[in-house]
Amino acid sequence: MIDEQLALWRAYDWQLVRGAALQPVMQMALDEALLDAVAAGYRLPTLRIWEWAASAVVIGRFQSLRNEVDPDGAQRHGIHVVRRITGGGAMFIEPGNTITYSLYAPASLVAGMSMVQSYAFCERWVLEALASLGVEAWHQPINDITSAAGKIGGAAQIRRSGALLHHVTMAYDIDSARMMEVLRIGREKLSDKGIASAARRVDPLRRQTGLPREAIIERMIETFRSRHGLADSPLTAEEQSAAERLAETKFATEEWIRTVP
Amino acid sequence: MHGEYKVPGGKLIVVDLDIVDGSMQRVTLSGDFFLEPAEALDWMAAAIEGLPVATPAETIAERVRTAAAAAELLGITPEGVAEAVRRATQGDVP
Repeated sequence: MIDEQLALWRAYDWQLVRGAALQPVMQMALDEALLDAVAAGYRLPTLRIWEWAASAVVIGRFQSLRNEVDPDGAQRHGIHVVRRITGGGAMFIEPGNTITYSLYAPASLVAGMSMVQSYAFCERWVLEALASLGVEAWHQPINDITSAAGKIGGAAQIRRSGALLHHVTMAYDIDSARMMEVLRIGREKLSDKGIASAARRVDPLRRQTGLPREAIIERMIETFRSRHGLADSPLTAEEQSAAERLAETKFATEEWIRTVP
Repeated sequence: MHGEYKVPGGKLIVVDLDIVDGSMQRVTLSGDFFLEPAEALDWMAAAIEGLPVATPAETIAERVRTAAAAAELLGITPEGVAEAVRRATQGDVP
């Protein structure tokens, strides 16, 4: 089974994008631009490791802005509020506190899998990398990466025009007090989790590994490279300008951010 | 009016609506679920828009199911939407 899974990955010529730190709105735009580029065949299947240039709340495609974000708290701390193209829940990001990455691939990578199966499939290499660092983590349906000590991260996917975007944010460190000033987390959401505090549900990788963030990212890249193959592939000028256009005309607009008010 | 329902093992469904002359108006759905295509969010809201407040949950769920028949839903169910609507119309805010 594992060998069959590896063969699925090995059918593609994987590329790595690791660029400069970007503003949150550009991160959203680049995700869409690279998904479109893979869908159109301009770009080979790609792993992108994100670096954040500013703190952000990233809300899911279908979340209500006012239900999720405390605007005063966000403004007080200079936190950007952006909406992504995938569903799922709000994330609080501070540069250096998360490990975020995206996979852009032909949807054939996950052909025949249910959505939940495809989350698990896309996370195997990360779980292997974490295991090699002593963190026993697993996929918790629907879309969580979790461990005995607590939740580590969450994934989201979208399939469009024959291409798949799978992106993940894992907590490296967390300022729970600040998070609670910015995110509105209702009691109903926690009703079947049996835990009163949203902050306590997360156990970040810094505490679990004691390693620098960079070391964890390097291990993830090594693991991906040895399992699936990986070649460096910087963003092209076309991809960069496509993302800038999308940032300006879509992701930075009030219309998009308030698409679910 | 505002109602929330967390689908057991799934995601949070939030319904906001107004009640005007006994019917549900300006219905919006939101939450941390997954939907493809994204337009299905509007299809489902439109299936509830204008219904009498007293519409049975089974009817709401059936209308939502039909509206979203061409969509893929993850973490959200038509029954869950109906429950969130019931909570909104009964002022049963958790």
